[in-house]
Amino acid sequence: MMFDILLLVYIVLGGIFIGAGVHFIPVGGAPAAMSQATGVGTGTTMLAAASGLTGLIGAGSAYAVSGGDFAYTIVLGGVSAALMISILAFIANVMYVYGAGVPLSSAKIKYDPITKWRQDLYVSRGTEGHGTPMVSFISGIIGALIAGIGGALVFFALAETYNKIGGFAATFQSYPAPYYIALAAAFSIGIFFLNCVMASYNIGGTIEGFHDPKFRRIPKSVAASFVVSLVGGLFALLILPMLTGGF
Amino acid sequence: MAEGDRSPGSLLGIGVIGGLIGIYLANYLNMVTGTAWFSFIAALGAILAVFWGADAVRRVASYGLGTGVPSIGLLSIGAGQIAVLLGLAIGKFAGLELADPIIALILAAIVGIVNGVMARRVIKMNIAIMERSMTEIAMAASIILLGFSTAIAGSFAFDQIMAYVVASGFIIMVFIVGGMAMLHPFNACLGPDERQKRTLNLALSTGFLAMLVSGIAAGAINGVPAAVPTLIVAIVGWIIYYMRFWADTKQDAAAMLSTGLIPKEEEVMT
Repeated sequence: MMFDILLLVYIVLGGIFIGAGVHFIPVGGAPAAMSQATGVGTGTTMLAAASGLTGLIGAGSAYAVSGGDFAYTIVLGGVSAALMISILAFIANVMYVYGAGVPLSSAKIKYDPITKWRQDLYVSRGTEGHGTPMVSFISGIIGALIAGIGGALVFFALAETYNKIGGFAATFQSYPAPYYIALAAAFSIGIFFLNCVMASYNIGGTIEGFHDPKFRRIPKSVAASFVVSLVGGLFALLILPMLTGGF
Repeated sequence: MAEGDRSPGSLLGIGVIGGLIGIYLANYLNMVTGTAWFSFIAALGAILAVFWGADAVRRVASYGLGTGVPSIGLLSIGAGQIAVLLGLAIGKFAGLELADPIIALILAAIVGIVNGVMARRVIKMNIAIMERSMTEIAMAASIILLGFSTAIAGSFAFDQIMAYVVASGFIIMVFIVGGMAMLHPFNACLGPDERQKRTLNLALSTGFLAMLVSGIAAGAINGVPAAVPTLIVAIVGWIIYYMRFWADTKQDAAAMLSTGLIPKEEEVMT
């Protein structure tokens, strides 16, 4: 049984969404952990793992509950990831403001494009900003929504493919999730990490959001995500002909 | 950069040959005897791959990735995961389950090369050994995943791995724990005084910790015969190599290395 080419398109599109979404997320890296740069104080890998896996759990449960409804899976995947990143950024902001005692500000722009508040006066000397100001926060929510939708697209395409394999509706012991959801989740995580790490190499580890000059590097990430998810998606979809006895 | 007593070639040999021997031996001894007593050998094979993978991570990450060491470890373990699952399915399709680990290794190399080429040529990361390192780490990751999965399921046949490792959810645990075992050593030891021997002793210690976790999972699947040898070997191995790492740390800490003067303000800003 040959796989559906449309589903390969979903996976490639999902991969590109994941890569593009990372460019919106305020990743501060190690400097932000010492409140010396704008963004959430951890690396892209950790942020992507946190929001991506939450999105995947959201998408997976929506898929299982709705019996494979496309819109429900995609929306819940995106919303779960966005929810995770906003909780993460909010809690980090509480720590920056009340723990480290720094105002939320960005050194890359003079005025916050959303609140119109002055930024440069509040940046401590020798640092590049602190915490996650409003523009980065909103950017992060948009990015997680895009990346979560991308992850959910990959998951949806794989789950739709694997549920055609005979015997994969079975479950492990008394677990509620059937085999095909588990296999789709395992592959989605692989493809998710391929794309989000490629995107994080593109931004060189840190970015503040869509107002950051590094955001213009996005076309390179789209090209890399296209190739990487094409190969990953092809590998993932080839499981179907392999397990159903040929093309 | 990142030189050491052990050459990349010899580590590649240890990882590939040792890893494959471990996985095959565990599978066939389990099959011949009809028990799960020999599952722990597969985890030992995976530890040899951790040993190799940690050195490959060390070589590439010493150039400075800009995103932290974990990124390359998790990228490669993602590549390894895709390769292993397809490799097992191809083995089942072709009726060649015997060749599963080798097919998975070849597929991992393909995904690794693609990632390396993308990172160096499209993203334009200025690291000369990117392609080679990505390929090596993805191959090591595939042996790590397959080794710990075999230790849990007792066999590397697709059906067993699918039911006992993927459907039971242990695959995610193997993914993170195996990735951590490979990326943590250099992440913990990096710096001007980094030394290969210390990093690799830490790699063996984290490898045995990962084996400990997979031993607990093996107990849930195959019961006492799988869990007891795995847990005993893992605990003994972890204690031995953690003590060695600790001795190396104390030895290295006694040495002082000049890192130069504090950089001027304009140099900091760039």
